[in-house]
Amino acid sequence: MKRILYLILVLIALPTSYAEQKREMMLPDLSIKLIDGKQDRLSSLLENGPILVNFWATWCAPCKKEMIFLEEFHKKYSDQGFRVLAISTDSPKSMSKVKSYIRAKKHTFLVGLDPNQEVAKKMNAMVMPTVVLIDKDRKVSWYHQGFIPGDENEIEAQILQLLNADRTKVGDK
Amino acid sequence: MNKIIIFGAISTLYAQFSFSGNTETRLAESSSGYYYNETLINTNLQYGAFTNWIQLEYSDPPELGRSINGVRKMRLEYDNGPVKLKLGDLYEIWGRGLVLNSVDDQSIDRDTGIRGLTLMYNTQSFSTQFIAGKADISQSTINALGFNNRTHNYHVSHNLYGLNVNKLFGNHNLGFSFLQGLEKHPVNTFPTDTLNIKNQLHSASYSYMNSSFDFYTEYIMSRSYEFNEDKWGSHATGKGLYSNLNLYFNLFSLNLEYINYRYAMIDPISRFNIVDYYGYNQPYQNPPVAVHIHENILMNRVSHQTDFNNEVGYKAELIGSFSDNIEFLTILSQSNRTHSWVMDENFMWKKDKELSFLPKFDPAAMPFRDFYTELTFRTMQNNMFLKIGYADMEDIIDLLQNTVTDSSQSLTYSITDAQTIPLNFSYSFSNGWSIESKIELQWLTKGYWWYEEKNNDVLADSLMSIFLDDDGKRIDKEKNSFFSFTVSKSPKWSITLTSDKTSVKESFLENKSIINPLEKFLGIDQERNWVNVEFVYHITSSMRFSLLYGSLKGGLICTNGVCRIIEPFDDGFKIGLSTVF
Repeated sequence: MKRILYLILVLIALPTSYAEQKREMMLPDLSIKLIDGKQDRLSSLLENGPILVNFWATWCAPCKKEMIFLEEFHKKYSDQGFRVLAISTDSPKSMSKVKSYIRAKKHTFLVGLDPNQEVAKKMNAMVMPTVVLIDKDRKVSWYHQGFIPGDENEIEAQILQLLNADRTKVGDK
Repeated sequence: MNKIIIFGAISTLYAQFSFSGNTETRLAESSSGYYYNETLINTNLQYGAFTNWIQLEYSDPPELGRSINGVRKMRLEYDNGPVKLKLGDLYEIWGRGLVLNSVDDQSIDRDTGIRGLTLMYNTQSFSTQFIAGKADISQSTINALGFNNRTHNYHVSHNLYGLNVNKLFGNHNLGFSFLQGLEKHPVNTFPTDTLNIKNQLHSASYSYMNSSFDFYTEYIMSRSYEFNEDKWGSHATGKGLYSNLNLYFNLFSLNLEYINYRYAMIDPISRFNIVDYYGYNQPYQNPPVAVHIHENILMNRVSHQTDFNNEVGYKAELIGSFSDNIEFLTILSQSNRTHSWVMDENFMWKKDKELSFLPKFDPAAMPFRDFYTELTFRTMQNNMFLKIGYADMEDIIDLLQNTVTDSSQSLTYSITDAQTIPLNFSYSFSNGWSIESKIELQWLTKGYWWYEEKNNDVLADSLMSIFLDDDGKRIDKEKNSFFSFTVSKSPKWSITLTSDKTSVKESFLENKSIINPLEKFLGIDQERNWVNVEFVYHITSSMRFSLLYGSLKGGLICTNGVCRIIEPFDDGFKIGLSTVF
């Protein structure tokens, strides 16, 4: 019994300690297909400032609830160079709905398409929704899986922390 | 000195590598003997323009499929400017998937990936992709020996190569695809035999996009050959069409989709027999369907299973808002076969009338229709959310008999008809606490419809239900209810109590649950009630732990028109741990 408990503790403790260090994790310069048909590199999307990448799908109810708050943050912090990129993981069977959904909801953030979940896998987004906050140097600043009401406060706090860190970096230079 | 050089070299290399990954561990054990234990580890390694993805699996047994202990999938990629090269396990989509859409959907254990290489060249106005490799595809089918719900019993392999080209002219895009597969196809003969089949797919697509509407259409032609007596002989030809039109207005958007798949006209009894009927729709195609993917549990259990060989249908979806706080969604979808079917004097099926390019509800063509509408209200600065919907679907799954003479008709078919009301309410308090409740009510009819007409007199037009009450008497409708209540404290944890209840017995299914102590404790210990409680805890922002205790009803689970029956889970534990590192 003691050995099993020890194993569970190790299983939890090891990735936890590693996860806390993931701030230094750098993403490859991924090519992302945008909803207007154009391809863009992650590096060029980060030219103006940090971005929050949100993985979602039209069949995911919590994703849609979360997107209402992401739209707010996109508008609120855009003057500081911050943007939201919502990447739809809808397969070809539902991807025709993505644009009509975004247009009907009047969302103004950037929308990407990842029908074979290639970008999601590279950003380790295994559940819907997943939020990945990326700084200007393509380094992952924060991860968040799932959405429960109230999580929007934590998301906003992390965005502000990243924007402040960015300002400090610019000040140091 | 040597140690310093080695240390320096390792440090330099390490500085240029970027490594990340995720793990997912799932364990379950129930008193009905349902057990699984699986861990998936995905690793991503990046070095300059190279990336490497490896997926490891350790399972004994997995939830679905066969045990794997070691590398499950891997891929090496080189991505530099317009050139991209991938080597390993490939999951690629061309257009909307009429020619190629290889998927790895672990929720229904469907893997149509290709192990090989692909070379891509992409600019803003031109893209091309060459692919070559082998797809080893396993499926579960009652038409081969050894069928069971958890592991596949039929295996085919395809050696594939193909090319896809797309060119953008302003707002117009033109695309062409070609894919050829040499298939090793085992058939039900004694002694066992494997056929050599050559499948060729050609397609052309066109799309247009502007600010007020966009349009996409793709036409595909398929041809297959069978190798016999030292030469390839023509086996079958088929065609398919998919079109999508999106119209954008100020207050709403209209999404229209149309499918017309005519790869094969197979009789009603054999249309899902993938063993004896070959050379038609291929498992690596996965084209769009005219079915709405419902978010609610009960509607998903009666999802329509698309016949990819022969289906004509449409889906119209209207989505918009009355104001900033009230949104609406209405969807109508309908489909049927390209022909109606009738029996000859020897009770053998033959094609009857060819139906028009739009579906209509002729039972002899196994039609399906689904209507869904919902209203969403948001108020109190998005803290209160209420969604109410209504769904009405009717699906004729099998045609069992249709004999027609000059003066009479005898028609029997199996039917599923369901009306569902889903309701979702959530309220978020200012201190991170929130509550959420989901209620779904469903009135379900399932059974065999018998229609008999002679000399213009209707002799029978009635349903033989498969539902029985406790005295064994047939009743027309089953009443299903699903209820869940969640309390959560953001961003750390949530706890959900779920009850899934059905009112009657199905004549071919012993749909009783084992009463668990939780049900006894809550005083809802009925035999046809599946109750569970789930606790989810975010240990860190990138680490999620979940623990479920209780029972799950199981049943049909469908993703994108492809369905699978999942066994019930009775009185047991499910543990999940997912991490990102």
